[in-house]
Amino acid sequence: MTEISSITDLFNMSKPESSDIRRLEGELKVLGLSSPNICFQCSKCTSGCEAMKLLELQPHSVMASTKAGFIQEIIDSEVIWTCVGCYKCKERCPQEVSPVEVMYVLKNWYVASGKPIPGDYQNMLQNMITNGFMQGTMEVLDTENRAHDRGSLGLPEIKGPKDTAKFAMILSRMAVERLGGE
Amino acid sequence: MTKKIGLYPGCVIPTEQYGYEMSIRKIMPELGVELVDVENISCCGAPFKSINLVMQTYLSARNMAIFEMEDLDIFAPCPQCHLSLTETKQRLESSGELREKIVSRLLEEEGLEYKGALKIYHTLDLLHDLVGIDVLKGKVNKPLGWNIACHYGCHTIRYTGADRPDSAEHPMKMESIITTLGGTTSDYSEKLNCCGGPLMTTHKDSALTKAGEKLKAVQERGFDALAIVCPLGGRVLDSKQERAAGMVGEKLDLPVFYLTQLVGLSMGMEPESLGLNLNKSPVSKLI
Repeated sequence: MTEISSITDLFNMSKPESSDIRRLEGELKVLGLSSPNICFQCSKCTSGCEAMKLLELQPHSVMASTKAGFIQEIIDSEVIWTCVGCYKCKERCPQEVSPVEVMYVLKNWYVASGKPIPGDYQNMLQNMITNGFMQGTMEVLDTENRAHDRGSLGLPEIKGPKDTAKFAMILSRMAVERLGGE
Repeated sequence: MTKKIGLYPGCVIPTEQYGYEMSIRKIMPELGVELVDVENISCCGAPFKSINLVMQTYLSARNMAIFEMEDLDIFAPCPQCHLSLTETKQRLESSGELREKIVSRLLEEEGLEYKGALKIYHTLDLLHDLVGIDVLKGKVNKPLGWNIACHYGCHTIRYTGADRPDSAEHPMKMESIITTLGGTTSDYSEKLNCCGGPLMTTHKDSALTKAGEKLKAVQERGFDALAIVCPLGGRVLDSKQERAAGMVGEKLDLPVFYLTQLVGLSMGMEPESLGLNLNKSPVSKLI
């Protein structure tokens, strides 16, 4: 994974892209969110960021690069995948910018571009499309090492999508669904 | 007075965090909440925000439509689900574009109708506000007597604009429930820190390190136990406590309970009926 410090190296070779900013602002508007353009770099987001210490995520610098038009570079750096999604940055931003959701939108762009999705997402997605849930039921051990499942614990069966074929069809179409708002 | 409400367990609770679900099903009827199981439900979409926000919004709307068509309000004990449902409801109120795309095109294909009039509850506001502290107090016959730290989990309290069960910076409802159950509690500086749980998808070591740091902080402050209301928290703070300990190089032996398990214990219920024999953290130190 590319460290955030090396984003600056990428910047040396790139030009800002204002059409990306317009598209991003359009999508954020559909979600009822402000443009990162009004970010004044107070860094409150970064001082509270749950991924800052361990994974070096600096939301304020992601916002700075975004508003400068270096959006493709941010997506290519993969730094957006370090966000925990704790929403502290959104909660505390005095300008009501939402770095966490800007990063969600940019991760959506990354995925839509066909790049390999990091982590367990592919597997979770497959489970969800097939059975309705991101993972199947697991067997767990109790303190005496006896194995249990929902049945042995007296829990009722969870009944997922009735028409699994239609559910899977609608979800597979999502690959081309965009927030829109251009 | 009995309140009928639809139980929406999400993905993580009904597939691995059985103790949370068992304790919910055990205590709620005793507190006047009749839980109704609904068919045809699916993931709320929250774990897939990074993949596609339209899909997330669609999945949350789909589940809400299913409960609405049964004339039920929805109880989502998972804070991630609760946030996803709540923000979807808001998005569909404010964006004609999303409403057209999701409600009119996609849901109709499955014969579902979404109105967006249902109420969405989480464990915390259900216990604290709907059941109420007075009713809860009346049910306690075995006061806990332990000093318990509260862990709210990120999505239980953030973000304020999405109508959370408690305040983002000064949540106190868990504390008020703990003291009602006969426990003691106090604030600690790491209270609002994330457990790392959502990072398990992409950065497992960092997720477990965060969990270890949180547990270490609580343990060092001398608490007897930690109370949680989030299944992702349960996964790393309880189920994987041993691995989290390894990540931070500490000996951790902190009992972690779901708040609903504590409610059940204070009502004198059998530990096994609350799934406490499934907790991986050393809860047997106390019970």
